[in-house]
Amino acid sequence: MQPVSKISKIIKGKTVYAIALSLITGFSVSQLNAQSAAVPDLSGTWDGGFGARPVNGENVPWGEDNFPVLNERALAYQSVWEEIMAPKYDCQPASSPAIQYDPYHMEVTQWPDRVLFRYEKDDQLRTVWLDGREPKSTDFGIQGFSVGHYEDGALMVTTTHFVFDVAGFDDYNGIPSSAQKIVTERYWINGDDLNVTLTVEDPMFLREPTSYTTRWLPARPGYKLAPYDCDPESSRASVRFFPSEYK
Amino acid sequence: MSIRRLIAATAAVITAGLTLVIAPAIAHHSSAPFYDPDNRVEIEGAVTRFVFRNPHAFLYLDVTDESGETSEWQIELGAPVSIRRAGWTPDSLPIGMIVKASGQRSRADGSQGLCCVRMTKADGSPVLEGGRVEERTQPPR
Repeated sequence: MQPVSKISKIIKGKTVYAIALSLITGFSVSQLNAQSAAVPDLSGTWDGGFGARPVNGENVPWGEDNFPVLNERALAYQSVWEEIMAPKYDCQPASSPAIQYDPYHMEVTQWPDRVLFRYEKDDQLRTVWLDGREPKSTDFGIQGFSVGHYEDGALMVTTTHFVFDVAGFDDYNGIPSSAQKIVTERYWINGDDLNVTLTVEDPMFLREPTSYTTRWLPARPGYKLAPYDCDPESSRASVRFFPSEYK
Repeated sequence: MSIRRLIAATAAVITAGLTLVIAPAIAHHSSAPFYDPDNRVEIEGAVTRFVFRNPHAFLYLDVTDESGETSEWQIELGAPVSIRRAGWTPDSLPIGMIVKASGQRSRADGSQGLCCVRMTKADGSPVLEGGRVEERTQPPR
């Protein structure tokens, strides 16, 4: 048997075993995983709103201490940038590193071979693959392709294969991101909170990597993520209020 | 219940029933490019549309000025996915309802938009029953 297919068979076998064991014991797969000392229990619904962290400001999460150092290409881009150029005004979803800081809820589901991050904002789903697979050329997308592993009680995530995004860095500063963007995240539990340290590098526009650390609070019991269903009319309704310099 | 959960739960209770939502305060972008915080205006008018869809709810009013001319004003509110937790629904502002609103005026010349509003019924009572009229402030940074 070829090594790759043997490994695949082992992974599938472990998955079937985990699911069967969860049915027998009544534990969720995430609970089974969490019982391992090396695997933190990140599962659940999390609140990233104003009660968890400062939001909706030009200096959060990128402030004086961590504002990205832009190269000449990015600065030239900023010189022609206008807020209304952002594709979010046409319902294009947010992506990393912004979507993790948007003031909405998030749901984390841990399976043996993947971790699912579902964002209320823009109805986005990120899959972090834990089985060692590598991205293909067809895996480019707004959310990129994420792989991860558990280490020292934390989930480590690396995301590549982002498509070029005219406002791919954040919501405020008109900084684009390229297909060279790499986002790394470390998730851990501290008390009741879910924490993340996120680092972004993009040599097309940034001279060096930069990071922020933030947290989510547990959502109120029973809270379920609501559909976002971005509406094109509602998305562009305020655009006409912007005093554009361009015709 | 941990202290953090108690604080979060208390904040949720306070938020519920508030008549006023500083729209971009729970939105995903700053209001400053679109609305001028140094230019506050007050209007009163009849609801003609209440668009309760993400990313922002929008309220449209027919406002009659001192000369008797009626024109449309547009008020930006919060994301329905968020403000619904405070009790807002698509039926919170029915057509024909008279509301008073004061807020930041839109920047584009001649445009008639407001954000970050303080809003009540015509008699000054909260829009949502049991709610308050106070303007919610941004959390400290």
